[in-house]
Amino acid sequence: MPKLSVTRRALLAGAAAAGLVPAWRARDVAAQGTLASLPPEEPVDRTMQRLFGSRPIRDGATLINLELPLIAEDGGNVAMTVEVKSPMTRESYVKAIYVLSDRNPRPLNAKFNLTPASGQAYVATSLRLADTGDVRAVAEMQDGALFMVKRSVRVVVAGCAI
Amino acid sequence: MSTLGEVRIRVPGSVARGSVARARALLIHPNERVERKDGKAVDRNYRFVNRVVVSYAGQTISEFETSTSIGENPSFGFAFRASEPGALKVTFFDTHGGRFEAAVEVKVA
Repeated sequence: MPKLSVTRRALLAGAAAAGLVPAWRARDVAAQGTLASLPPEEPVDRTMQRLFGSRPIRDGATLINLELPLIAEDGGNVAMTVEVKSPMTRESYVKAIYVLSDRNPRPLNAKFNLTPASGQAYVATSLRLADTGDVRAVAEMQDGALFMVKRSVRVVVAGCAI
Repeated sequence: MSTLGEVRIRVPGSVARGSVARARALLIHPNERVERKDGKAVDRNYRFVNRVVVSYAGQTISEFETSTSIGENPSFGFAFRASEPGALKVTFFDTHGGRFEAAVEVKVA
């Protein structure tokens, strides 16, 4: 039998939704933006270790196209696109794209979970970068294989604390 | 004027059936960053987008886990396969219980 695991937060959220706890309590449950809800402040190596353990990460230079400006005037808003050259079929697809900034106190910017219905392993967004340094994209294939590329970005005005 | 919670989705005017198209979704939102005082992060309930769900024709096709290190007014580009006519829907969730959503009909030719 699968082990039931109900966290206190999930329980309270469920109870709040069902109207079993007063509104002020419900708001407390929704409060999830505390430091504890964010990934910890740590060097990028530790984040990589936390995310991927000791799994081998191959060079993705021929596979991943990570586009970033060479110089970012404003670290608070740096345009980024990632495209992984891979089929997106049920048998073979890119499961996730991780974007990490080496010099950010919390290096993981975002994790993009994809499916074959994405049709193309392409994502774009704008990043906050705390300082000049490498930004890396890690592609995780459906079989668990990992590929990585890095790009260096010079940040003129830092994206602040983050 | 832009107001918090407004979602805009941009898709191509029409898409050939079965082909892959790209879209972009934007949310008007402060996506607060962590404040620092004397070099230490201040602990409070920051308001930022932590999850974005993209669905097409009723099926979830991608999901993004995000944080304070995405820029203000977060926008996301992504691809989808236009296998059938349907609505492309993007839903943003923030840490204050906010749920912001928009949908556009994709014209499949």
